[in-house]
Amino acid sequence: MTRQEFLSAMDTLLELPAGTLTGAEPLDDLENWTSLAMVEYIALADTNSVKLSPRQVRDCETVDDLARLAKVQ
Amino acid sequence: MKHGTIAAIEYYLPPDVLSTEHLAREFPEWSVEKIDKKTGIQNRHIAGPEECASDLAVAAARKLFASGACDAQDIDFVLLCTQSPDYFLPTTACLIQDRLGIPTSAGALDFNLGCSGFVYGLGLAEGLIATGQAENVLLLTAETYSKFLHPRDKSVRTIFGDAAAATWVRAIEGPTPSIGPFVYGTNGSGGPNLIVPTGAARKPRSEQSGIAEEDGRGNVRASDNLFMDGAEIFNFTLEAVPQAVDALLVKAGLAMPDIDLFVFHQANQYMLEHLRKRIKLPVEKFVVSMAQCGNTVSSTMPIALKAIIDENRLESGMTVMLVGFGVGYSWGATLVRWMA
Repeated sequence: MTRQEFLSAMDTLLELPAGTLTGAEPLDDLENWTSLAMVEYIALADTNSVKLSPRQVRDCETVDDLARLAKVQ
Repeated sequence: MKHGTIAAIEYYLPPDVLSTEHLAREFPEWSVEKIDKKTGIQNRHIAGPEECASDLAVAAARKLFASGACDAQDIDFVLLCTQSPDYFLPTTACLIQDRLGIPTSAGALDFNLGCSGFVYGLGLAEGLIATGQAENVLLLTAETYSKFLHPRDKSVRTIFGDAAAATWVRAIEGPTPSIGPFVYGTNGSGGPNLIVPTGAARKPRSEQSGIAEEDGRGNVRASDNLFMDGAEIFNFTLEAVPQAVDALLVKAGLAMPDIDLFVFHQANQYMLEHLRKRIKLPVEKFVVSMAQCGNTVSSTMPIALKAIIDENRLESGMTVMLVGFGVGYSWGATLVRWMA
């Protein structure tokens, strides 16, 4: 998965207009970063063949942290 | 040799309905479209204040008897799967025996499982029949999770519904089982991720345990209420379910194309769709049937089976894979060669 594909998928997941996220956004500032969104992110990482634990996800602070965790190129 | 076969299924949904529209009014930050998209659930049925699991189970069993499939007098063993029994004791299945007029020569027991319960129940029924201990097993699944939920915990109120199912598993002669083989799994380290922390022996209820707090994501609950870590549960299913499917196929000496229909525990539509894609199951073989009742815990699979029976999708001779997974963590998978 490319970085652009990841950010686009996260825009959809967080119900933001396409092209909104740059990666620098703190997760706490994102209104729709809910427990459901976390599940969808885990699913997104799974499609990238990356297995994550929710604890690892909760340690992330920014969208870029999520990208690194999901081994996005 | 005798084996068990699923001869008939009926289910009961309590009359009170909690719609997605109602939930969207209660939780304005979530729209109807959002709840529907995330869960695939439009309505959940909720037991009334005086309605307990045994009431739902009795209603489902009476529907079964009224259908003409079998009679209470035929039943020689009652299995009740529930995590919300009427009492700590006596056994709720014993009370159900009395209410249904099942002969006093019948055996009856409760077993405490959730989402994997129907598969385990089929395993118990097959074991009872194959060892000559029973000929006609009434397998009941009944749950009133709604009574554990805090009214302001949208993370679970959108998901769970109350229901009961009654499945008649009867003995047939033949060399080959109609139900089986079985694959089971347990990982108790996941216990804290779907739990009602207080109210039983480990942590009795107290004034403190009833005090509700917000969890930082807008959900409110007390220790007396059901807690579910959705992300942890999802992670568990991604690990356990594909492995269980593979293990069952190996045990049965079959391959994926040999399976006609897949009926998984109907947890929520998003999770099901992800699992379907992950395991590469064709859409037309993958049963999703939860929009009108939600996640009814151990009743989701018998309800889904009944739905596809009524839709004429389930024909004699078909092989159906059942996979249950969830609270415990507990999981189980089996094959049913449909004969009804």
